[in-house]
Formats: sequence, structure tokens, C-alpha cells
Amino acid sequence: MIVVGLSHKNAPVEVRERFAAGKDQEVELLDALKNAGPVGECVFLSTCNRVEVLVAPKPDASPKEVSAAVREVLRRHSGAASAAELDGWLYERRGDDAVRHLFRVAASLDSMVVGEPQILGQVKDAFETAVRHGTVRGPLERCISRAFSVAKRIRTETALGVGTVSISSVAVDLARGIFGSLDASTVLLVGAGEMAEAACRSLGKDAKSIRVTNRSFERAATLAREFGGVASTLDALEAELSLADVVVTSTGATNYIVTAELVRRVMKTRRGRTLFFVDISVPRNVDPEVHRIDNVYVFDVDDLEAQVKEGMRARSQEVIRAEAIVDEELAAFRAWQRSADVKPLVLALRAKVKGALAAELDRSLAGKLKHLGEPEKAALLQLIEGATNRICHAPTTRLKDAASAGDADVLVASVIELFELSEPATSAEPIATERPARLH
Amino acid sequence: MLPDALFSLTALLYVAATASFARYLAAPVDGMDGAKVAEEGRRDVRLGTGLLAGAGVFHAAHVVVFSLVLAVCPVEGIHFPLSVVAMLTVLFFVVLRGRFRIDAAGAVVAPFALSALLASRFVGMNAAPSTQVRSALLPFHVAFNLFGIALFSLACAAAGLYLVQERLLKRKQIFGLFKRLPPLDALDRAEHRFLLAGFPLLTLGILSGTAWAQKVEQGGLSDLLRAGFGWATWLTFAAVLLLRAAAGWRGRRAAWGTIAGFASSLVVLAIYLGRGGPGGHS
Repeated sequence: MIVVGLSHKNAPVEVRERFAAGKDQEVELLDALKNAGPVGECVFLSTCNRVEVLVAPKPDASPKEVSAAVREVLRRHSGAASAAELDGWLYERRGDDAVRHLFRVAASLDSMVVGEPQILGQVKDAFETAVRHGTVRGPLERCISRAFSVAKRIRTETALGVGTVSISSVAVDLARGIFGSLDASTVLLVGAGEMAEAACRSLGKDAKSIRVTNRSFERAATLAREFGGVASTLDALEAELSLADVVVTSTGATNYIVTAELVRRVMKTRRGRTLFFVDISVPRNVDPEVHRIDNVYVFDVDDLEAQVKEGMRARSQEVIRAEAIVDEELAAFRAWQRSADVKPLVLALRAKVKGALAAELDRSLAGKLKHLGEPEKAALLQLIEGATNRICHAPTTRLKDAASAGDADVLVASVIELFELSEPATSAEPIATERPARLH
Repeated sequence: MLPDALFSLTALLYVAATASFARYLAAPVDGMDGAKVAEEGRRDVRLGTGLLAGAGVFHAAHVVVFSLVLAVCPVEGIHFPLSVVAMLTVLFFVVLRGRFRIDAAGAVVAPFALSALLASRFVGMNAAPSTQVRSALLPFHVAFNLFGIALFSLACAAAGLYLVQERLLKRKQIFGLFKRLPPLDALDRAEHRFLLAGFPLLTLGILSGTAWAQKVEQGGLSDLLRAGFGWATWLTFAAVLLLRAAAGWRGRRAAWGTIAGFASSLVVLAIYLGRGGPGGHS
């Protein structure tokens, strides 16, 4: 497995927004990746804080080829002139490092806000999109499923998500630093997605009123109804800004929908009342120039990072425990993966044994046992099944144990040699099909 | 003896209050959110406010005892202006801080009161208003102005803290001090209300001062300067209030206007003290 991407840790929001993709673009990118020669499976993850491509190479492809193919797709998507331009921003993880990275991302250990719950949902969304478009089905699928279990285990066994300093909670804290309390403030959500909903849960509970404006009125109305607010479409943005005190923007727009010119007009009608923007969208929805206007404050996701890191320090013990779980799960996954590697050999062994017994039974049924009736024949078939299990049990267990321990090479070679099996492929498919005994 | 003891005790309490608020401001924030910061610092703020309240009471006792010793009405004599302004500022603050949610502004009020109290020891001690300027209007004129300046001191403290908070927000330095100081809008609102309360008093002070000046027919340079700066102060505060109401001048602009007006009022006070009181000769 290979991961190529960039995140809040190595790329500022100006760079991340060049790589970010909406739902439609995600599908296009998955198609582009699927059509890239060496890519076997792929998932495209785009959130406010990271853009990553998770890839399982085709069996005959080298990691280098896969990396080059993914980078080319990302280059075209970001509009960069050359691959070299991206090298400064993109990181790459391979093999165990990639699996560990995925586990950490899903468990929110690599998030800007460590322990925040949204990332798991975002990874699930990306995974489901990939499943729908048929770009994930084999080892990558199993790896991502495992990542979901790891995230769930960390959430259950540690207090990582308890009292999390999230983007929303930082926004609430900032709003309180500006307005004192929110009970006299109107909160406006521009965009009605998952992030807006999360922000509304934090900001909206103390606010005087909630207003939701969105491209689609239906979605705005649904969210507004949930929080007892008022819905409108983006056409009413200027009027809505005149009424709001705290504005949370989280649309998928690729350009600034709140410009400095618009806010200057709005501030005239507001008679200088303070206006606070929390721009949690990537690409950003609010022009950074807006922050220069008197009595207007704009904070985007990067601005909140240091604050969030402060909160993380306080939960460092939980992070250590969560990292230990990731290590443990990674080891377990590797063991499982290795034991899965010998599965074709185990199946081949079973097929060989069962085939030999079935051949002998066929011969006997055609000769000395010709007189047996159907019930007796069925009993004999069951006997073959049981004998196969008993014969193969010990070698199967030894092979799997050795594989889990990463020490199966000698045993694999011995089994192949002793039972005259062909070299097994490292896939879930059996290398030989069982030949069932025929009933005469 | 008693006035000195009260003076020392008051100064000591101001020092303790200043230290308590300084401790609150300097304590590490360590990733706490605003609510947690307020909770952790509540003890220091309460202690500081309590010490300020105690200091205010002893300060008032000192003013009363000292005026009895000197046999001078505090609002008539020129020994007291700085001291009385500091005392009134502290008492107003202690009474109104909760209403405006500006408890942490004690960090400015306490050192201001301490400085004014100490300065009052050295300013105008040997001066007395000339008998020719004594008038029934004088106590009203001085009282209006002292009450007004005390409220403007609080408005100026709120304005100063507003500018600090605003600067921290614009620079996106939202840890530490930002969480310790009162909310931006609370400071803006407090500044506006203190100005609104102080402005009528200043107006009455100016009017009574003008009437009194005509009565005693003064016209020296310092009197003209004092009157000029008095009107400049009035015009500045009037402009701040008017522009806020009419053109939405809030926040930074209003804060700078308030500070300018307060500086102008301090010039009036300085001329008053430097000259040795109304019509006096230092």
C-alpha cells in the first residue's frame, strides 16, 4: 500500500486548497487514478486539513511507478506546472508506514485537532465513494476496514476524544473572547454540510438565533429545522451577514464567496458592530483581506492550529496510549496479512489431500464398494471431509503461526516440496481447485 | 499620624491588588479554553477585586481624615484631585465591574490608583486656592470634573484593553493574554457606557467652570489653556459619542478617541495642579 498526499502539517491552507476536491471532482480523480496503469486499487480522501491518495499497486507494478502515476494525477488536478513543484508539499508512505499512517489518520491521531470525531466519517465517506466506483475491492479494502476498527478501539479504550479541543470548540472559545457570551449573538452558517452541522452543535446551543444559508435551500431548511433556525439561499448572503455576529463558512465553493467588498458594504449597514468569521472550508470561502477591515475578524482552519495544539498537549497521555494501540494493531494486521499470504497454500494443500482421498473413494466406489447405496456414499463423502480436516489441521496451524511470526519461508517450501504443490500466488484465490468426489 | 497610616495602608492594598491581578495575567494558559482560564483565575481576580475594594474604603477614609486635618473640603482643595480621582475610579470599578464583565480590568485600575495616590503625595501639597477665587460654584465645578474624570479613567482603561485585545485578535495571537483579558465587545460596551455617564458630568463641570471663571474674571495663560483643553476634552468625547451613534464608529476608532479625550482631560488636571489650583499661584 502507498499513501501520497499533503496535510496541515506540511502544507499551508493556500496550498491545500489547490489540491482539495469536491464530490464530483473526487469521482473524476478516482477515474483518472484507475486509468493510470500501475494503480490496482485507490481511495481519494479530501478534507479541510488533508488531501491523500491511498493506493494498492497492481501485482506487477513497482512502488516507484505507482508513486509517479499518482503524482501526475495530482499535478494535473492542482494545476502545477511540473511534478517537481509538488515535491516540496507531498509526502509519501509505503508498506507498514502507509498502513500505520492510515490507522493514525482514521483514529484522528494525525488530525489538526487530535481526537476530533469528524475525520473517521470523512474517511468512511471517501471509502464508500471508492467502493461505489469500484476502485477498491482487495487488500486496500481490508486495510481500510481494519483502520475503522482501530479508530473505534482507540475511541473506546482511551479518553482521546473526551473534552476534545475541536475546531468548533476553538471557534466557540474565540467567539466568547470577542462577544463575552453568545446568548445575544446570531450565528450564521454559510453552507450546510457535516462541518457546519458540527459547528452549529457547539456554537448554536448558546446563541440567540441560528441562520443557515446554503446553495440548496432544502438542505439549509433541514439543518435550520434541526436547530430551530431560519434558512435561506446564498442569494441572501449579504442580508444574512448584516444580521449575524458569528459566521461559520463551510461550503465547497472553489472561490471566495465572502469578499472584502461585500463585507465593507455589510459593515456600513451593521453600523460597525463586530463580525466574526470562522472559515472552516478548504478552499477558503472568506477572502483573507476581510480580516483587515475594522471590527471584522476572520479565522481559518490554519489560524486555529496552534490553539488546537495547545489543547493536544493537555491530552498527551491519551495520545501515548492511542499510539501504543496503533502499534499493537499494526503488528496484528501484519500478522494477519502474513497468515493471509499462506492461505492459497493452505487451500492448495487441502485440495490436494481431499483430491487424493476422493480419487481413492471414486476407485473403490467403482469396484469393491459398488453395492453401496446413496446414504452410504454420502456418509463416505462426509468421512473424506472429516479426514481432510484432521490431516490438514496441524500443517495449517503450523503454517499460519509461522506466517504470523514472519518465519514461514522454510515451512512453505517444505509443504510445496512434500506435497508436490505448485508455487502459490499471494492472493486470496486458491491456487488449485478442490476436486469433489463424484457420486456414481 | 492617622492620615499617614491610612495612606500607607491604602498604598499597600493597591500594591497587593496590583500583584494579584498581575499574577492572574501572567499565569500560564496551557491549552485551556476561555472558560477554564476564567475558572482557574477566579481566585486571583476575586482576591484582587477584594483588595481593591478594601483599598478604596481606606482611600476614602484617608481623604476624609486628611481633609479634616487640613480643614479643607476635598472638592475645594487642590491637595486632593489626583487622590480623589483614583479613589472614585476604584469605587466605580468595584461597583460596576460585574455589570460590564470587566473584572480583569482591575489589572489596569489597581496600578493606576496606586500611581495617582503616590503622585498626590507630591503634587499641590503646599498650594491653596486663593480666597479671591472661592465661590459657591467651585465645589460643584471640581466635583463634577472629578467624578467625570474618574469615569473617563475607567473608559480609558477599557479603551486601552480593547486596543490590546483587538491587536491580539488581528495578529491572531489568541492564547495567553487574550484569554485573560475581558471580551472585546464587553470592553467596547463598558467604554461607551462610562463615556455616556461621564459626559454629562464633564458638561456640567465645563459650564460651571465657565460661569465661575467669568465671575472671578480670570484670564491668565494657564486659565486660557485649561479652558481650551477643557473644551477640547468635551469636544473630543462629544465627537466620539456622536460618531458612534451616527456613523457606527465603534471599536478601535472609538477607543483611540476615548484615549485622546482622557489625555486632554489629564492635561487640564495637570494645568490645574501645576498652577496650584483655580486662580492659584504655585
